[in-house]
Amino acid sequence: MFLFSLLMVIAFRFGFSDAVTSNAVTIESLAASALWICFSFAAIVGMHTAFAKEKDRETLEGLLLCPVDRSAIFLGKALSSFVLVFLVDVLSIFFFALFFSFDFGGNLLGVLAVAFVGTLTLVLVGTLVAAISVNVRAREAMLPILLIPLIAFTVIIPCVNATRNAILGDLAESFRDLLSIAGFAVIFGVIGYLAFDFVVEG
Amino acid sequence: MDKHRLGFIIAIVSAVLVLLTTYLAMFYAPLPQTGVRSADEIMSSVEGSHIQVVGFVCAVVSRTGSPVVDVSETTVFSLADLVDYQRFRVASIEGHLGEQWWTVRPIDATVTSGGPLPGPYVGGEIALGANLSVHAKVVEESIGPNSAITGFSLSIPDSKSVSFDLGGGGFGTMSAPVAQKIFYFHMPSAWISYLAFFVTLVSSALYLKSRDAKYDRWAHSAAELGVLFSTIAILTGPIWAKQEWGVYWRWSDTKLVTTFILWLVYIGYLMLRASVSDSGTRARVSAVYGIVGFVTVPMSLLSARIAPLLRSSHPEVIASNTGGLSPEAGLTIGIAVVAFTMLFITMLIKRVEIAESEEELEELKRTIGGED
Repeated sequence: MFLFSLLMVIAFRFGFSDAVTSNAVTIESLAASALWICFSFAAIVGMHTAFAKEKDRETLEGLLLCPVDRSAIFLGKALSSFVLVFLVDVLSIFFFALFFSFDFGGNLLGVLAVAFVGTLTLVLVGTLVAAISVNVRAREAMLPILLIPLIAFTVIIPCVNATRNAILGDLAESFRDLLSIAGFAVIFGVIGYLAFDFVVEG
Repeated sequence: MDKHRLGFIIAIVSAVLVLLTTYLAMFYAPLPQTGVRSADEIMSSVEGSHIQVVGFVCAVVSRTGSPVVDVSETTVFSLADLVDYQRFRVASIEGHLGEQWWTVRPIDATVTSGGPLPGPYVGGEIALGANLSVHAKVVEESIGPNSAITGFSLSIPDSKSVSFDLGGGGFGTMSAPVAQKIFYFHMPSAWISYLAFFVTLVSSALYLKSRDAKYDRWAHSAAELGVLFSTIAILTGPIWAKQEWGVYWRWSDTKLVTTFILWLVYIGYLMLRASVSDSGTRARVSAVYGIVGFVTVPMSLLSARIAPLLRSSHPEVIASNTGGLSPEAGLTIGIAVVAFTMLFITMLIKRVEIAESEEELEELKRTIGGED
């Protein structure tokens, strides 16, 4: 995951090399988009491994045999993915600051707050969809196909907006977006909590 | 009456209604007005009364990566600065934006004196002597001078009041009246796609509750038809938009983008179904995805982030109270909606029957012991 975030940021560094040096794109505007592309893909990769390994090693069966509510497994999976993906978020922000020589300054906390809430929403919906896609042929391809439309409006657009506003120091505006993202975290959390049972049974 | 005969009758009726819709749309429904007037005309009619339009206060949406728009937050443009209702050439005012056209979207309207304002966004009436100030946003780089956009208009229907329509759409003013005919097919298709996805949502929930394969078939069939009808809506929309807006698609328009996302969600749903071989698993996981998928899009529309964007330039049929449909057009669209709904029901019944036959066939294959 360390390597993943490093490579993603490097890809952006090379890809936008000309654009940044010629000032066609400001780093402030690039940062929000680039970071959230990193975060989203990190989540997709992370979510995939969360269930694929379990399925391949047939440890999912064991997990399901545990005498606990299956919704607890959902929350556990979401939590572990969250820790992992948020770690990647932090690393990506660090690498971004390093490679683009960009100083987040006092706004770093705002950016991290958006990353925190956004990633939470991302893993809550991602865990459910990953549990769905693990049943499927060509599951590596299926996860993004199923997940990206769901997160386009609920995570990516508001998060990019909130991050950009946070970088520009407009925390009030950023907070408004953050509220709606948190709302989706609740909605996805509830749906996941209720529906996870149906996905893993059998 | 047995089921098949009923289905047959519905099929015939829907076919007749679709033909009737085509006829009405072509020959009965009137063309919308092309009441696009110049700013001068508006100004002269306004000046004749006691209404004073203060102007547009432009707040500028920051556009990353584009030439910096430095129209300050409080710049006041008078109505005369508008070349047509909604678009203006900033260059003609300040000269520091280059030769670009920008769409101005009213975000707020306040009456400083003289009377109440019915609604901040959609049209209404203000009393004589009122000072109306309209706050507008420079929203996006626009599309050039040739296509007029339904939008800000001022007219004086009688001597007592001034009605205004703040970009609400409707069919009061359209620059491409003939292209509007496609609306009679576009709007019912869009409506049917929402209906179909809703059927999928309900059937999915019912399946998870009852585990009856019947509901799974309904969910699948409805999703397939929903994708079909939303494809029609997504394809017919741009044909009109090219004529009216000058572009096929606008990424800034919430209605367009959410419809597209909904379409992607259900394409994903169908792909998911296609790639699970076990029928029980397929029904379960697709039911869950059908529920999550439907929930996201309407929720997105309601979320705070999107709400300001909701005033898209896509015409609102139901919400608009000014410049609405003429009775003839209303009748045509009414019949069109009934026709498409009947068509949808017919196709849904048939599709479910096909799904039943397919399952029967699978069952027979298994009994015989052949390969899958």
